[in-house]
Amino acid sequence: MRAVVKNGVGVFTPQGFLDGNSSSAFLSIEDIEATTALDVDMILVSLKRVVFFNKNGLDIFMKLFSKVRQKNHATVGFCDYDEKKYKAINVFYQDKMYFSLYKTIDIAYLFSSSFQKQNKNVLIYSDDKSQRSAMAIELHDNGHNPIIAQTKQEFREKSSNKGAYDAVIDLTYLGQMGQKIATRVTGNAIIYSISSFLDAEISSKFNIQYHNNSLNVGFRLFIFDAYKVISMNVHALNFFSKLASSAAEYNANICFVGMDFEKTTDTFKETLEDAGILFYDQMDDILKNKKLLKELGASSAANTKTKRVINKQTVTELPRFIDATVVTIEMMTNSKAIKQSAEVQTITIKDKADKIASSIGYYGDLDGMVILVFPKAIAKKACELLIGENTNDIELILDTLAELVNIVGGRIKTLLSDQNISVDITLPRTYSNIDSLLEVIQDRKGVQVELSFNDDKFLFFLTR
Amino acid sequence: MITKDKIDEFIEKIPPAPKALRETLALLNSGELIKASKVAQTDLALAKYLKSLVNKPIYGFSHEVKDISQIFGILGVSGSQQTVYNYMTTLLSPSKWLLFKLNAKTFYELQARLSKRWELILKHLGKEDKNTASSIALLPASIIVAEALFCQRIEDVKLLRSAKNLDYNTILIRLCGMGLFDICEQIAVKWEMPKEIGEIIQASSGLKPSSNEEINLLAKWMHLLLFYELSQPLFVEAGLNDFLDFQVDFIGDIYDDFATLMEIE
Repeated sequence: MRAVVKNGVGVFTPQGFLDGNSSSAFLSIEDIEATTALDVDMILVSLKRVVFFNKNGLDIFMKLFSKVRQKNHATVGFCDYDEKKYKAINVFYQDKMYFSLYKTIDIAYLFSSSFQKQNKNVLIYSDDKSQRSAMAIELHDNGHNPIIAQTKQEFREKSSNKGAYDAVIDLTYLGQMGQKIATRVTGNAIIYSISSFLDAEISSKFNIQYHNNSLNVGFRLFIFDAYKVISMNVHALNFFSKLASSAAEYNANICFVGMDFEKTTDTFKETLEDAGILFYDQMDDILKNKKLLKELGASSAANTKTKRVINKQTVTELPRFIDATVVTIEMMTNSKAIKQSAEVQTITIKDKADKIASSIGYYGDLDGMVILVFPKAIAKKACELLIGENTNDIELILDTLAELVNIVGGRIKTLLSDQNISVDITLPRTYSNIDSLLEVIQDRKGVQVELSFNDDKFLFFLTR
Repeated sequence: MITKDKIDEFIEKIPPAPKALRETLALLNSGELIKASKVAQTDLALAKYLKSLVNKPIYGFSHEVKDISQIFGILGVSGSQQTVYNYMTTLLSPSKWLLFKLNAKTFYELQARLSKRWELILKHLGKEDKNTASSIALLPASIIVAEALFCQRIEDVKLLRSAKNLDYNTILIRLCGMGLFDICEQIAVKWEMPKEIGEIIQASSGLKPSSNEEINLLAKWMHLLLFYELSQPLFVEAGLNDFLDFQVDFIGDIYDDFATLMEIE
């Protein structure tokens, strides 16, 4: 069984009965290896469709959890359960709960560092006071607004007020949290939260691919929330110095906020300053200072690094990129997708109204970005198989478009690997309007292809 | 990926029940066990299948049962009819499984397990008529249909399912407006099976509950039984555990009863 990955969270969904006999069949050695190789923030096992489990049935997943944590520090645990199952897991593992429990997958997403829908008002309750605080801190770090109910009575009263909160959390437990660097996006600035002692491990905890991709798609301001940092050693110093040098290539800025140098030598600070890193006492010193924000580049997502052009190799492989898109659309819609025209140009979108877009980057032997632009209604049609219901919920449509573009990315990866070209794909990104897309790609040249299925037109753009 | 035309083509290609089978079933229907066994013997493949099935450990015979009349005698009218329908279902199965890691042996194993446990359930529910008993025989046809329709698109399905947790039935319904259990119902019609068999199978998907409470109750037990078996290591390894969505809410009210009957602790 393989995990389905969405929003940086990999989820296994076993069904039926989980006992000592059956559970080992759910995860082969290859499954475990494939899971540990995933670049995700969380690995969860959904108990939504499990009607019976015992401790032996869950133990196989404990082995998986342990391997995942050793390999990539991701958060691990269970989700989608009722009170009876929650209590059963607590009884089975009591004081050995190094994993987390999230009542629903949506609650898990709130704690995931890759999930970018911030500013949710979240009501929290747990019988355990320290859990309440831990959840509030995590949620706050992820850019949400946690509200703690101190008693069960208070929780009942507050949670009965439908619509007052974006999310309500109970029957949730934070075990040993993932040690990946949490990431959140505020406007055009990316904020990384770092804590404790910074040493050589920073290079494995920090998602450099995400960072590079962020640079490539146009982010220019990176803020390290360092309030909880106690000290750093020379390995971490080297890491940040290198990070600053690579950021300079893109004309990007790296800032540290709240870093206390009580237990770190001042020469480190000087070295970091020499590398171009800026230091601020408070987050608001940057985020509330519009002039400074503009100076630091956060007001523009333009990619100011030397503009890269579509190279010969990309053009040679172009048919495979188009094929991947065409075949995916055909698979999803059961209709023939047709290429209408192709030109090398800057992206040209005639009518920007009511259009949405999604992009996915690839890197490795080849690098670049595929962008699909759809009229909203056509995106809905293209995603019908994945959506499965008639909806006008734009968030759901965008989410599903991201899934579609992820499938396109997966197919590109396969088609290129048939040519011995090895690439990895980034997380998909969506744009609810064309202006936000144009802000990212600006006047980059690429190959623009008009495609259609069932006479419904959409646009494919490949750029670097 | 899969079109309605492809489904129609699949249904079109289903052969009608062979003459010997129809005759055997007609005789069983009128309670003529001995005559039925004699006709069954003329179909060598059926005779071989019957011997292989009833000699599986789950049937619990201490000695090998070889004679068809003896097999029919042991199984009775109801069990014999069910077994003949089981055989008919195997006629649809592929010679080589590609989508699921199954073979004839493991598929027969699934049939045998479902059949014996269904017998136990019907005894528990006090519903031992032969058509209800036979309905379980059509349930694994849903697996065969999924194999037949998706085996040429394994990579597509893998890619799709890596992005979204969709079962084969949902994919088919969204693409063609027709699910695995609709196709099973059509197979039942084509094979002139009693109408209630198709109805029970349709309701056992857990997605289209029947308005007939009795059929609905049987469907719940059948749905849970299917997932009880699909949670066994052999079938989890075959990739069957998630070929269909388990509807936990559908079976909520019978679970405790089921757990007691199957001695689940």
